[in-house]
Amino acid sequence: MFKLFSSTNIYFLIQKLTKFINSIFFLILLIGLTFALILSPPDYLQGDVVRIMYVHVPSAWIGLGCFSLITILSVLNFIFKIKYFYFINKSIAPIGLLFTCLAIVTGSLWGHPTWGTWWAWDARLTSMLILMLFYIFYILTFKLLNKEDLIIKVSSVIAIIGSINLPIIKYSVEWWTTLHQPASIKISGSSSIHSEMMLPLMVMLLVFLLYAALIFLMKYKTEIIRIKKKNIKRG
Amino acid sequence: MISNFISMNGYGLYIWLSFSIVFISCAVVYFKTKKTLKKYEQEFLVELQTLTLEERNKVLENSKVVQKILATSSKAN
Repeated sequence: MFKLFSSTNIYFLIQKLTKFINSIFFLILLIGLTFALILSPPDYLQGDVVRIMYVHVPSAWIGLGCFSLITILSVLNFIFKIKYFYFINKSIAPIGLLFTCLAIVTGSLWGHPTWGTWWAWDARLTSMLILMLFYIFYILTFKLLNKEDLIIKVSSVIAIIGSINLPIIKYSVEWWTTLHQPASIKISGSSSIHSEMMLPLMVMLLVFLLYAALIFLMKYKTEIIRIKKKNIKRG
Repeated sequence: MISNFISMNGYGLYIWLSFSIVFISCAVVYFKTKKTLKKYEQEFLVELQTLTLEERNKVLENSKVVQKILATSSKAN
């Protein structure tokens, strides 16, 4: 199964996937933006400012999802010693950082008209800021350390420690009294969001996921070329 | 109608700023990633050129990925 991650297989898959994503991306983006900015109704309390949700929520989900994936792959790398997981993590981390920063910035822009403040040291906001710091530390290990074995060890430790923050982010709105509203969308149980808002949210999530996949594929391709270049040098 | 759409009932600044920040950041990251990829492809090809013909053929025989990079680069040129 792990042969699937070999550079040759992945490289050819990347070529095909990149073409596919490029062919459908702008159409889905156009549909998503039409729903988010025109067709979806304003909220009965917040009015039109709720439209920020269509960029804020998918960004936060992807930010959290990327770190969860990094943690899982770090643990698997510890157990199975598969080098490609390290390259996958290295390619995912900047995407996670980007979306976490976007979630914080758009959240602040949403917070000002609804809460009357750009920022509060509230449990959800603070835990998202901590996630951003973990991403920065994680990426810095690749930039500052030289030995690959050491990078794998240090980055995996950061990922595993950082993963403690993930349930804190998820449940912060339930455990503490926060400015941030509780989750409207639940995997188990009924969601309190109306289908007219749910549909644009899902389309925008798909747009963001496709974008994240595209960036990941390009970054992973860069890593493969880097390995090949190193192999040529070694002769 | 258009002014209503732009003003978003008084929240236009927040909404348009949020969407703009997201899409501009994503575009910057996309172009930066693409540029890095192209740079590495070019550097790789330069590295390949430094090899002797025999060594280059050996590398090409052993790696489908290298063949593909070379083919992509020829297409682009």
